[in-house]
Amino acid sequence: MSNWTSRSIGRDWQHRFFYLAIKLGGRRLAYLCLYVVVAWYALFSAVAKERASHYLARRFPAAGPWERFGRRYRLILTFGQVLIDRAMVGIIGAERIKVQLHGKNALLNLLAEGKGMILVNAHVGCWQVAMSSLSFMETPVNLLMQREEGDIDRHYFEHAGIECPYHIIDPRGFLGGALEMMEVLKRGEVLSVMGDRMLGDDQNGVPVEFLGEQVTMPFSAYKLASATGTPIVALFSYKTGPDSYDLKLYRTIRVPPGLGRDQQAFVPYVQEFAASLEEFSREHPFQFFNFFNMWYE
Amino acid sequence: MSVKEKLKQVLIEDLNLEDLTPDMIEDEMALFGDGLGLDSLDAVELVVVVQKHFGVEIKDMDEGRPALQSISTLAKFIEEKQAQ
Repeated sequence: MSNWTSRSIGRDWQHRFFYLAIKLGGRRLAYLCLYVVVAWYALFSAVAKERASHYLARRFPAAGPWERFGRRYRLILTFGQVLIDRAMVGIIGAERIKVQLHGKNALLNLLAEGKGMILVNAHVGCWQVAMSSLSFMETPVNLLMQREEGDIDRHYFEHAGIECPYHIIDPRGFLGGALEMMEVLKRGEVLSVMGDRMLGDDQNGVPVEFLGEQVTMPFSAYKLASATGTPIVALFSYKTGPDSYDLKLYRTIRVPPGLGRDQQAFVPYVQEFAASLEEFSREHPFQFFNFFNMWYE
Repeated sequence: MSVKEKLKQVLIEDLNLEDLTPDMIEDEMALFGDGLGLDSLDAVELVVVVQKHFGVEIKDMDEGRPALQSISTLAKFIEEKQAQ
């Protein structure tokens, strides 16, 4: 993962081209352009091929060259569609995307416990669209988010020219944002973190099994849950149609108090999350968007 | 036992700093980084330890940032809170 960066492989003008297509012709025109662009990337871009191969080789281990091409095309196409949808929410409005939530009552019941909630997301579906539909909770939402320098990819609220509707906690802040995260949970608020990828220089990861091999996933959220008694939920979104997404509560993870400093103690709970993510990748194989080698060599 | 001494003792016990004795921890030693060697996630544990043993809550960043610098600053914070 040392040479990998989360920055888009697309150039700035290519992003602008799609934003213009959305403004002029809406989703239909942007999608139409996307089919051609994705075909080029899937056929000729060595970087795109390499980045897509890590996950696809684990998810579909037995595949011939044509199958590999077809799956690579589908994965990159879905990723492109999700980026267009995300931009659409900002440029045209959130009402253009319908989001159906599975597990709403369970989420409200967990919040009613008064200990806040840790949403552990992943780079699947469109988490930004998912987040935009959580207003029913009537509780402030805080995001642990690090923006990579030079990233030209925009969030939906940046397209809309509005202030970010969430409070951003920067992991590069004082003590990695740990105190700030505790503070919002004590107030009974929602904290959203990414559970599938180590952020920046974060060393707080544990090995778990994902798609048959070992990966490292962060355990900070689980430590916070142990210290505060906050429930963790694995909440993933997925695209179900041209203008629709579902948001599903896959699992509630309860981390017992007093697990202390031994990072091995957190492995079973991180593994629960990894199992949820694996379940997701079985149900929605082309909506998993980690384009780097998560697995140990 | 003073707050500083008790603090050193509970840090060693609750944070499993097995290689250290209270005598080895200097009052002005930084809690995080090069000093005592705690990391950002230990801050979470530290907040819990302070509440458990001293009945003092570190409520937010405004309180936490100055308090969590060294044994001295944390002990001073605890004493002030206990006196209130």
